[in-house]
Amino acid sequence: MPFEIFVQLAISGLTTGAIYSLIALGFITIYRASNILNLAQGEFVMLGALCAVFFIEKLGFSYFPAAVTSIFLVSMAGLFLQRAVIHPIRDEPVLILIMVTIGLSIFMSGSAGILFGPSPRSLPPFIDAPSFEIFNSVRINTQSFFVIGATLLLVIILYMVSRYTFIGKAMEAVSTDRLGSDLTGIPGNFIVMLSFGISAGIGAIAGIFITPLFFTQYNSGAILGLKGFSAAVIGGWGKYSGAVLGGLILGVVESVSVGFIPAGYKDAIAFIVLLLILYFKPKGILGSRALEESRK
Amino acid sequence: MIKQNYIKKIEVYFIIIFLLLPLLFDDIVYNHIMVIAGIYAIAALGLSLFLGYAGQISIGHAAFFGIGGYSMAILSTRFGLPSALSLLAAGLISGLLAFIVGKPILKLREYFLALATIGLVQIFQVFATELTDLTGGVSGIYGIPWFSIFGFEFDTSLKQFYLVWFILYILFVYSRHLIHSKYGKASLAVAFNEDTSKTIGIDPSQVKLNFFVLSAVYAGIGGGLFVSVLTSVSPESFGLNMSVIFVMMVIIGGMGSLFGTITGAVLLTWIINWLGEYQAYSLPFFGIILILFLVFLPEGIFRGIGLRWFDFVRTYADENWRKEIDK
Repeated sequence: MPFEIFVQLAISGLTTGAIYSLIALGFITIYRASNILNLAQGEFVMLGALCAVFFIEKLGFSYFPAAVTSIFLVSMAGLFLQRAVIHPIRDEPVLILIMVTIGLSIFMSGSAGILFGPSPRSLPPFIDAPSFEIFNSVRINTQSFFVIGATLLLVIILYMVSRYTFIGKAMEAVSTDRLGSDLTGIPGNFIVMLSFGISAGIGAIAGIFITPLFFTQYNSGAILGLKGFSAAVIGGWGKYSGAVLGGLILGVVESVSVGFIPAGYKDAIAFIVLLLILYFKPKGILGSRALEESRK
Repeated sequence: MIKQNYIKKIEVYFIIIFLLLPLLFDDIVYNHIMVIAGIYAIAALGLSLFLGYAGQISIGHAAFFGIGGYSMAILSTRFGLPSALSLLAAGLISGLLAFIVGKPILKLREYFLALATIGLVQIFQVFATELTDLTGGVSGIYGIPWFSIFGFEFDTSLKQFYLVWFILYILFVYSRHLIHSKYGKASLAVAFNEDTSKTIGIDPSQVKLNFFVLSAVYAGIGGGLFVSVLTSVSPESFGLNMSVIFVMMVIIGGMGSLFGTITGAVLLTWIINWLGEYQAYSLPFFGIILILFLVFLPEGIFRGIGLRWFDFVRTYADENWRKEIDK
């Protein structure tokens, strides 16, 4: 493979990878507060994107207000769904929890298909700038900088919040020992609800950043969610840094693989990498306490 | 040990009534849906052993269902194998593949096991679509012959009904013997606590692998029957939604109840068929139905309704009745 093509593929892979990282961050935010895995995470991405498209095209909002409203609405949807569906069954076995989040995911993508129509949609790029050229022929879309920048910014913010603020520490406490945290007066239910809201918001941000680059459709959430979860496991489950690293690695591997194997197999690459990682390095690249405990 | 005879008298009456039902209705739609329900029940029965008895999680059985289906289709069209032999091979091939992938995957637990099995479905679907020479790509394989034994063709829904439910009954009886045997009890011990089960000489990884392979064989047989009833096969029948449907059949019937699983399969097949009339609205409705079942009856319909009824009576019944129940 010529060097230019490799670099080109790697750069577009980094962009997709940044989106996987954002989705993975959403998974981990919920998991760190409640030990729940929300498989409907990918649907928040789809909802965020389609809401923004709806506000801009149908209601004539300009870019920024549309994005903010969409993120706000999706966060509210996350809070509501946690309260209405996840909260009543939080003590059920893991299988029931997984199935409920899958049910939510089917419900959300189906409703989005009815509300926003089945056709693929896209947004204009954030700023109207021509793409860069490096090494003579490698082109970089300006939107890629926004995507990667947003991912890095968000992971830094999340890290700071979890490390230095009361809410971050409360989340950690609630997931570590529910009874203990209740005794110290931490509002456990509120913290878990908040984590769903934040995670849905992160999903919506990912959706809005990705839509200028790829088309979004009512059913594109599920596969994005699964790849985001794979990214989080590959990098090291439970760690913000692991989520970002896993996402970027997954994106690059997936994108570069197109140079070696037929493009149709691209969607299988993420899961093959995942199974290989689970087999040879089950704790993920950066290591994970949670995964170690879950494997005997 | 006394050898128990598990076939009870009431069961015989039940079977006779059930076998007469299609003759009474004699409706091609009813028969066809019951055939499909029976096929799903075969796959769900295997999954029920894996979920309810070995206590593991698999959202990947659509892959084994599909592998059985494609094996049956390829063996009977390309190689002209007799369909009874192809069906056997379909079960064995999917069992073999489950054995190969099961070893590394079953070391995982809970969410990670769920993710890995979802990965299997996705990988299977990509390969079924892309290996065009073998599988016919997106359009799949057409013209698969009806199931036949010694020249007797099962070419109407009525004949298929008896075929499918006969196979289901054999597998049901076998599963029931299995769960009452020492293997079934070992698997329950593993499901309860893997570490404790080791102390009494059970090898949890072996038990889990056995049940995984067995459930894949069931799914493979179901898949083989599925394509021979529909006479065609294409990748989209074996996606993640199919896996979710299998798991829901087990949950609706009640985890660890074999009879419940079959009831769940019949119920859910009818619900899906009924939802199909609503076209675009069927997907969100399906999601809502799943959520309602899981939130209000997570123990399954039988145990769930029983428990709710018991609670209801205890709360609202008068004093005497309550004493009666508390006895």
